[in-house]
Amino acid sequence: MNTEQLLNVVMKLGTMLMESGAEVYRVEETMNKICLSFSEVESVQSYGTLTGLMLSITVDGKTVTHIGRVHERSTNVDVIDKINQLSRTCCRQHLTVPEIESELNRIRKTKRYSMGITTLFGAIGAFGFAMFFHGNIQEMIATFFIGIVIRCMGWALGKSHIGDFLTNLLCAMAAAWLSVVIHHYVAEANINIMVISSIMLLVPGLAITNAIRDTVATDYISGLARGAEAFLCATAITIGAGVILYIWR
Amino acid sequence: MDTLFIAFIGSFLASLGFGVLFNIQDKKKLFFAGLNGGIGGFVYELCLALRLTDIEANFFAALVFTLMAEILARKMKTPVTSFIVCALIPLVPGGTMYDMMIEIITSDPYEALALFLRTLTIAGVLALSILIIETLTALFYSCLRKGKDYAKNHKRTIR
Repeated sequence: MNTEQLLNVVMKLGTMLMESGAEVYRVEETMNKICLSFSEVESVQSYGTLTGLMLSITVDGKTVTHIGRVHERSTNVDVIDKINQLSRTCCRQHLTVPEIESELNRIRKTKRYSMGITTLFGAIGAFGFAMFFHGNIQEMIATFFIGIVIRCMGWALGKSHIGDFLTNLLCAMAAAWLSVVIHHYVAEANINIMVISSIMLLVPGLAITNAIRDTVATDYISGLARGAEAFLCATAITIGAGVILYIWR
Repeated sequence: MDTLFIAFIGSFLASLGFGVLFNIQDKKKLFFAGLNGGIGGFVYELCLALRLTDIEANFFAALVFTLMAEILARKMKTPVTSFIVCALIPLVPGGTMYDMMIEIITSDPYEALALFLRTLTIAGVLALSILIIETLTALFYSCLRKGKDYAKNHKRTIR
């Protein structure tokens, strides 16, 4: 077994998990488990935060350390699920380092849902919210179309790398403006319900949940960081929708 | 009865949509993530119909969907997060936050502050009930494992 190679592969795995939106304790536990599945490894220490990871392993009395920075953050439950299964098989069947690496590359290459499907289901989700908030049929249909626009805008703005804050702000502005326009032509459609249902698509659900879970698991730094992320996102949405409604209401 | 059914379908669709956005690839898991959200929305609306307050309704809905998520996650061998996140989304206090924003725009800061506290309370209550169920299930399963180990060791000594 090559110690450096193991370190690199496990760090890559941890970074992938963190980027997919896994909780900190899960990332640390998975890295520890995979390192300890090799009998040569005497001890392993891992430390994870939302923005970076550290891992050191001891082999033959020598300690080697690796630091990894986590820049991107998205939500990809599929990757978390698959790496979870990989760590299970790793503990049971004692895979070699190249085997883990090839499996990791395979996981990295699996495709996400296509742009069309995510847009469609985002719009269906917005439709569902309108239903849940007791909207009438005009509001539901209007929200469906606003949902399509928001998803497309989010995708385009995400490509242009202007940052999450501005993306959420502009999407919320678009949602509020479209609601005002639709209300102007279809008087039965209530602005409040349309705006609430469509901006629910932008709400940072995973950040909120993980902020709580990390804090409870005593990873206070990451809990606070994720809380800040969620708060910033919520602020962007509120400002975006608020500005438009302030002008046109 | 009608509103309950509509709430179920609405939150089912919302959770299903978010399941796709969060990239749950397995179709069966995706369906159950949506179903879990639907049950959460149903319980929420049921509590409101039983004249409970908004906060209590959120609490009980989160209790039910977290329990469901724990059971489903263990049955399907997948992280609990994927089910909890999808089911939580319809209950996130977006409406209260929106009302707060409207109060700020219409320059009524006291009402806005009250609504801000209300938003925080609802988020806290959701967190609390998720925490309660997670702790209880972890305790339950660790007791179960210890019991099994004990039974195994006991058998060996008898032999």
